[in-house]
Amino acid sequence: MDLNRLPNDKKLQLCRWYFRVGCLLLPFAWAVNAVWFFNEAFVKPPFEEQKQIKKYVLISAVGAAVWACALIAWVTVFQMNRVLWGATGDMLSFIVPLGRA
Amino acid sequence: MNGAVGVVQMISNISDAAWLVNNATAGPYMAVVNTALFLDVIDLFMFMPNNVAGILVYQNGTARPKTFSQESTCPNEVSSDPVSQCPSSSGMSWNMGGTGLLRRNIPFPIFYLPQTRIEEIDKINNCFQRYNLDRANQNGKPLCSIQLKSRIVSLFRCFCLNTMHAHYPERYNLDRAYQNGRPLCSIQLKSFMFAAVNSEVCLRRSTTSALLTPTKVCDPLGDQNVYFSLFPRGKEILKNKPITLVTARIDTASLFDGLAPGAASSVVGMVTLLMSAVTLTKMMPVSDSHLYDSNVVWNLFNGETFDYIGSQRVAYEMKFGSWPSFAPLDSSDVKLHIELGQIGGSLNLYSENTSWPLYAYAADSYTPVTEFLNEMLMNAKQFNMTLLPVFTKNLPPSSLHSFRRILKNETENGELPEVLLVDYKDTFTNSYYESVFDDADNIGFVYRNISVGPDGQFVPTSDLLANGTMREWDVQVKISRLATALALTMYQRVAGKPYAADIAASAHLADEMLYCFLRSQACRLLLAADYATSAVEVPTASAPPLYVGVAALSNTPAIFAGHLLVLLAGTQLSLNKTACDSLDKPGFSYYWLRGWNHTGVCMQTTMNFTQAVSPAFLLQDYDMSSGMYSTWTESVWAAMWARVFVSGGGGGARVAACAGAAATLAAALLTYWLSKHADVLFKQPADSIVNDAASGRKNKFRRAARIGRVQRTALLKRANLKRY
Repeated sequence: MDLNRLPNDKKLQLCRWYFRVGCLLLPFAWAVNAVWFFNEAFVKPPFEEQKQIKKYVLISAVGAAVWACALIAWVTVFQMNRVLWGATGDMLSFIVPLGRA
Repeated sequence: MNGAVGVVQMISNISDAAWLVNNATAGPYMAVVNTALFLDVIDLFMFMPNNVAGILVYQNGTARPKTFSQESTCPNEVSSDPVSQCPSSSGMSWNMGGTGLLRRNIPFPIFYLPQTRIEEIDKINNCFQRYNLDRANQNGKPLCSIQLKSRIVSLFRCFCLNTMHAHYPERYNLDRAYQNGRPLCSIQLKSFMFAAVNSEVCLRRSTTSALLTPTKVCDPLGDQNVYFSLFPRGKEILKNKPITLVTARIDTASLFDGLAPGAASSVVGMVTLLMSAVTLTKMMPVSDSHLYDSNVVWNLFNGETFDYIGSQRVAYEMKFGSWPSFAPLDSSDVKLHIELGQIGGSLNLYSENTSWPLYAYAADSYTPVTEFLNEMLMNAKQFNMTLLPVFTKNLPPSSLHSFRRILKNETENGELPEVLLVDYKDTFTNSYYESVFDDADNIGFVYRNISVGPDGQFVPTSDLLANGTMREWDVQVKISRLATALALTMYQRVAGKPYAADIAASAHLADEMLYCFLRSQACRLLLAADYATSAVEVPTASAPPLYVGVAALSNTPAIFAGHLLVLLAGTQLSLNKTACDSLDKPGFSYYWLRGWNHTGVCMQTTMNFTQAVSPAFLLQDYDMSSGMYSTWTESVWAAMWARVFVSGGGGGARVAACAGAAATLAAALLTYWLSKHADVLFKQPADSIVNDAASGRKNKFRRAARIGRVQRTALLKRANLKRY
């Protein structure tokens, strides 16, 4: 979809929806929102809805970043401790590697 | 996961092995070593495994190594009675030549090629040598192309690729200093095992229900024990008589899949027990059971190699009075326990004379023990056999250890009258304990192939000796005599008087039984003892591997032994199949077997199977690290194969990589240049109007034409003026 062809009120609506969908524990929607609407929020010359778009883009970006940090931290901790955790580690695993601890 | 790949290195002496682990540079290597040298180099490889991708062991010629046993020096040490010591105070261990590889973590695969597949080794050696020595053959000729099936590796494929060109001067395995970056003969061994860490972890992973991959990675070891009683026993039979328990083991192991012959370590003991049981049944028919006040229970344990799985289960259930489930007996009912241990090891030592010195180990000199020893000595003596009692707490590896550990405090006064019959003192006479060499040759067995009578009559030993078919020192004769001596002793124990008639175990039967277990499953006995089904399935003409296998699958050796007892020691009833199947007499079970005439016979028997699965897998909250019961499991694997090939020198791959990188770079640069100079290349006329270019151009031409005409008119006017 070409944002350039969208009227400004539709842009705001779309941005708001992406933010709302991201609230359903979907950080990728936030990440997409932040990247997609970055130009509209910070680069394009001011227009009426820009302030609100800016708000949604900022919150989405921060939320996605927090999510990313949390996920990376968890994956690191899990990968480093899976063997050590024994039964718990196996229970938390979706796929247990064959032939090694 | 894709198998271990290594450069072939034929190991012909220890210095080759030392070079491989210390100096070789094109590693990792696949060491190809013969069985004679294996023992000398394995420790070095195990100690420095970094440069070792795997080992291919082969048997060359009929000469065997002096010792070859992958079991530990003190077999089943952790499951032994704590009172026993190994190594003993004198420094002797039971299995002095054992490498213990079966119980160690081996960081690389080891494959074995038997003598029958020696041509594969020749091909590998050829591949190894040819690359260096036979230069004339290197010029683009296909070197070797072989496809074959091996006994141990499911598909063994050898193909040497046609990639040699004359411009590589030296690139071969033998030219050790210049191996790097050259095409080399290599081997890939695949035996990827799914399980990891230990039994606790792999069982947990096997039971965890994963959403995507419900993968079973290992199974508990186990099979079936074979139970047979002289007289029927059961819950319905009111008075259970005191018992003499006679046991032996069925299983053995080796490091290599599908090769577990176990002649000396288990088959001789098992066959002796089967023959003795058959002989005693003939001496004391079931119909006379009311005449006697005691009973004999014969039992074959399975899984004994792996910390006494079968006997631990029996002792465990006996402790709770629940073994066997169809006729439970109390441990105090067992007045004497006789175990036929490893008795085949010395047969080859005495292959040319009649002696077969046996030893009777007993921990305590209880009355039943000394009585038995006296009677057994007397009976053995009439066959010129010697039996030397050894009273020691330091019992050799045997199922007695399970009973001593588990039942010690169960009997009323702590007494466990037990005797173990073996053919060694202090250390095994069998130098191939639980290895691929513990086969028919290890006990000097030569099959005589004597035809069996129409109703399963076997030629008596005396006749065979008289007509020269067999000699006094043949294993068949020795085993039949030991079986007879044991049967006579059991008769004396049950009847309270010596046996007076002339029934004896036949060396002919021993010949057939040994043939079934050591040479071919497609034998007369097993064909007759099989279920009578419409379709006759003739089993493969090879010895059944005696490895216990996983509990989920029933292995053939226990079934063979059980059916032999049914056929030979059961009572034949003249009934048809329907009538036979409907019989249900307490204490008996009924089998419709093929019989000697292959027409089907109804057999009544006391034989039964009991589970040989460690109690560790029954108990919900069993602590796997306690070491109380056997917890061996076997990993699941997808495929096991090997292939030989010539690995590329790496030159072609490097050229391809460089060319690919160069092409990518060139394309990127070209694209960049094109986009940078796009305005030059695709220049558009400055005054053109994109939207209506066609009409604009037309007007332009018209305008230009008009201008031309005006100019020409002007010129004409000027010319006219000049003319004037």
